[in-house]
Amino acid sequence: MRTRNPVGALTIGAFLTYMLVPILATYLFSVATRWDRSLLPEGLTLEWYRTAFADRWFGIVFQHSIILSAGTVIASIALIVPTAYWVHLRLPRGRALMDLLTTLPFAIPTVVLALGIIRLYARPPLMLARTPAVLILAYVIYTLPFMYRPIANSLEAIDLHRLTEASQSLGAAWSRTLSQVIIPNILPGIVSGSLLVFATIFAEFTLATLLVGARYKTFPMQLVYYTRRDGRIASAYSVISFTVAWLSSMVILWVTTLGTRQRGGPRAKTTAGHN
Amino acid sequence: MSYLELQHLNKSFEGVVAVQDINLSVDQGEFVSLLGPSGCGKTTTLRMIVGFESPDSGVVRLGGELMNDLPPHRRGMGMVFQMYALFPNMTAQGNISYGLRVAGLLRPEIEERVAEMLELVSLTEAAHKYPAELSGGQQQRVALARALAIRPRVLLLDEPLSALDAVVRVSLRQEIRRIQSALGITTVYVTHDQEEALSISDRVVVMQRGAIEQVGTPEEIYSRPMTNFVATFIGTVNQFNGVLEDSAQGRVVSEGMLINVLPVTDGQFNSGDLVTVLVRPESVHVSPLEEVTEAGKGNHARATLEGVTFLGPVTRLSLDRDGRTITADVSTQERGRFKRGQALRLSFSPEACQLMLSPTQHPERPNSNTA
Repeated sequence: MRTRNPVGALTIGAFLTYMLVPILATYLFSVATRWDRSLLPEGLTLEWYRTAFADRWFGIVFQHSIILSAGTVIASIALIVPTAYWVHLRLPRGRALMDLLTTLPFAIPTVVLALGIIRLYARPPLMLARTPAVLILAYVIYTLPFMYRPIANSLEAIDLHRLTEASQSLGAAWSRTLSQVIIPNILPGIVSGSLLVFATIFAEFTLATLLVGARYKTFPMQLVYYTRRDGRIASAYSVISFTVAWLSSMVILWVTTLGTRQRGGPRAKTTAGHN
Repeated sequence: MSYLELQHLNKSFEGVVAVQDINLSVDQGEFVSLLGPSGCGKTTTLRMIVGFESPDSGVVRLGGELMNDLPPHRRGMGMVFQMYALFPNMTAQGNISYGLRVAGLLRPEIEERVAEMLELVSLTEAAHKYPAELSGGQQQRVALARALAIRPRVLLLDEPLSALDAVVRVSLRQEIRRIQSALGITTVYVTHDQEEALSISDRVVVMQRGAIEQVGTPEEIYSRPMTNFVATFIGTVNQFNGVLEDSAQGRVVSEGMLINVLPVTDGQFNSGDLVTVLVRPESVHVSPLEEVTEAGKGNHARATLEGVTFLGPVTRLSLDRDGRTITADVSTQERGRFKRGQALRLSFSPEACQLMLSPTQHPERPNSNTA
């Protein structure tokens, strides 16, 4: 028989309140006519969404953020998949180093990272400062843990050496082994990493402001701009940003469960939610 | 000249010798097994043949062509792994066609070859299944079909049956041999299972500590082991350490027991040599004391029955003779004649005795005559 534990229920209740109240409040604020004189909003309206969408900047900043997010995902995959594969296949000792390297972005303050990048790219030969390209370069570093960990977990979950050798013995060179055997088998990890990176970059403000600023306005910059003018429009922006993040999470869940179900067997594990 | 040739192959891993001075010639169409305990270097040898490891020294030749500098994907060798190593993202058919797609064959040709391979391994109905939907035995058959589809110059199998249960193991090994004979493909097979190696191979290479102990047909390996290791690793054997008293007469004295062996005239042994006499359990005949057995120049002894082990068609008897255990196999139908504690008469012929120089044995000096 199940017994109710009041302490457990209280803990979970407190946790859910802590997590959900700000989000629900943001949602509610984005559709409130006025909510500064009473406990509950005085009325409901879609006016703030209308205003947000009507702003000519909306399309531009949305597009910029999509370009940055997608660009970072593509650059990350191109850099990290072959590296992670090679390290797992040939450099067992390099794995510890990779684990350390990929946690560094957590340890280095974003401002420090930004200053370092500005100093590096503000002088020849790479005059990239204040371009979207430098922002993508910085984002690849910034999101390294999000992309590397799920891919590394997927690589650890498959019999990498035997699969590689089997492919080689059947006449395939490295490039084909990677593209036709390894990547399809670590795809859930790549997809998880990509969506984590995508959602993170879509909502990234600090690096974008420090490295590029108003020259290439992003979605979060516009959000911050509105927080100074009208919190309700800012809330509408936040809700749109949440929606992008949640859609990403849904796709992660869908892809990972699909991968598990389709072939009915043990599949590459991913840690979509661990980072 | 032989087809696959290994000459003076050596390989160490971080100072630990894995393979030393391996020399082996395999003829075209021959089925050769590398047999030995784990860590004996058999898998390393196989991996050097396919190119996954490069030898520290020595050469691998195939059809006269030097393989050493060719990467694995250019060697044209089909490989079957212990844990199948099927591509999980591809169906059975996709796995089998992979090597053909890599080779750039045209679609009709690929389809024809895949169908032929699926039929060869009796898996036509599983063509569209993913590896996770197949049993271990089926997966290994797909792996075999995949390796054979590219029409490899050599087929290499690395403990392909180790992960399977006993019944599947026996049926699949017969199937591997049937397919190998039908295709006439040169095959190198790695196993630690002596029964598997003896039942499937044209020749067996017994390895220990990175070196070859003996190369021979299964019959030679079993009946005429050249080293103590081979004798004890392959099947069960009774060993009698002693001194060759008289090579012309074929008399060995071992711990107070006189053993008549065949006269040694080839100069390999001299009187006074320390030797080991090997006798297989099936060559030791056992009878109740009261039964009259034919006399002759055979070896006869009294012993007490200590243990009885049922092995199916035969029953293994452990007999004690003056503190020494002698093993004898009798037909299971006969086992009712023998009871634990019973005094029995055992005998074996000189022909059943295999003589071997024993480098390290120090037998007691003989102190009595006939056993």
